[in-house]
Amino acid sequence: MEPTAPTIEQLQSLIEMTTTINMEVFYWWCTAFMVIIHVGFLAYEMGASRLKNTLASGVKNILAFAFIIPTFFFFGWWIYLAMYNGFTPDFEAGAGGLPWATSMGPNLSDSASGIFWGAFVLFAATTASVFSGAVIERIRMSSFLILAIILGSAVWILAASWGWHPDGWLTTQWGFHDFGAAGCVHMVAGFFALGVTINLGARLGRFAEDGTPVDIKGHNMPMTVIGLMLIIVGFFGFLGGCMIYMGSGQWTTIFGTPVTLSAVSFNTLMAASGGIIGAYFITRQPFWMMSGALVGVVSCAPGLDLYYPPLAFLIGMFASMVAPLTDRFLTKRFKLDDAVGAFAVHGMGGFIGIVALGVFSGFPNIAEGTPNISFSGQLMSAVVMALLGFIPGYGLSFVMAKMGVLRVPPKAEVAGLDLVEVPLEAYPESNPSSKSHTPTPISAPVEPIATATV
Amino acid sequence: MNASPITSWEGATAYFTFANNPTMMSIILTLSVLVTVGIIVASVVHENKTYIDYQ
Repeated sequence: MEPTAPTIEQLQSLIEMTTTINMEVFYWWCTAFMVIIHVGFLAYEMGASRLKNTLASGVKNILAFAFIIPTFFFFGWWIYLAMYNGFTPDFEAGAGGLPWATSMGPNLSDSASGIFWGAFVLFAATTASVFSGAVIERIRMSSFLILAIILGSAVWILAASWGWHPDGWLTTQWGFHDFGAAGCVHMVAGFFALGVTINLGARLGRFAEDGTPVDIKGHNMPMTVIGLMLIIVGFFGFLGGCMIYMGSGQWTTIFGTPVTLSAVSFNTLMAASGGIIGAYFITRQPFWMMSGALVGVVSCAPGLDLYYPPLAFLIGMFASMVAPLTDRFLTKRFKLDDAVGAFAVHGMGGFIGIVALGVFSGFPNIAEGTPNISFSGQLMSAVVMALLGFIPGYGLSFVMAKMGVLRVPPKAEVAGLDLVEVPLEAYPESNPSSKSHTPTPISAPVEPIATATV
Repeated sequence: MNASPITSWEGATAYFTFANNPTMMSIILTLSVLVTVGIIVASVVHENKTYIDYQ
């Protein structure tokens, strides 16, 4: 029997199915790569903790990831879809994000909602992880979880709805452009962390009686540096997730402007490189070099789709020089103990990034009536992002501190949180906070085992 | 318990368990929220107990 040629309708159906599957596959792997960000944060924070707090820091990080996922399902996605106007929800637009909507589960007529929700929930967990590092070794776990949920499933996604949404008011009214979420993810998380850090206070021993900062070293710097490199790996999933896969045409940013993976590849790598080199020049040490890579990418994130690559290199380098100096200034001048420099890396890095795109701007937006990208629009939007992160972080932690539930008791902090909270030991043969460890006496030379004779 | 909202895959759209049963969806969703909140409350209780020796 002669094979018959497929009809136009059959071919069209095949193309549509292939397009849908390609879209799903793309975001699926972006989401998987974003999980690597959390592998990185986990290693980074555990390494940056002292031996006695290693596992407690790990538990905190893992739980933030775990609690963000269901809470983002319960109300986070709805906030994104409904709140783009400001504080007045669009209930019709938000209906698809309600936790009982037919789109919020397996649905053969909707291949997009779940995969976009998955990518966004990983962005949400990233904000919580950014905050997590700043408060290690003294925050109470339950208070941390509440703050992380509010940041990851409410605050950042409100910022995303305002400034990382095709109809967000920051874009439609001020022309705000932020390709890689420097504002809603990094600035909001960094400023939230700053607000909490003020009320949480420094770790015991972080400052001498005369106020001189005392460096508290983590127990495993190599693990921290490798963790930071893993975050950079995960960034490729993160930034891929910032693009809209248009099966029938050009890829776009979340604002509808055209973009290519090629553009983002050029600038991400150049920005990371500039960040490492800039931080090396200022600090000469690997913790800030790898943090500098993050600063480089964060500070170029708003324009990764637009920059001439050497400009991304220079912006990343500049921001990564500013970040360690910012951290040093806050520590010395204000006696703030941000254990991993989260504000300097993400808050300041994001701020520089948004304003930098305002300096090198003039690009048109797509939606009719939307202003071009401008310095004033970028600057005002950056201020909004800063306030949106700082006010809830400061306000909530202030209330928690007044209630006496923000911080662990001083004796528990001195003993180490692994001993107090975690029924497991990180390094049972050497951990000073071990519950069961008794020093092993230096053993006598081992007697050779008698060989059995057959 | 029949949790399937469909009897055939032909023309199926939302096919997850209890997609056509708002009462069951409400119960499961409410339970999920309660468990999430409850475990945070339980961690507060756990902390209060463990901190007794360190007050």
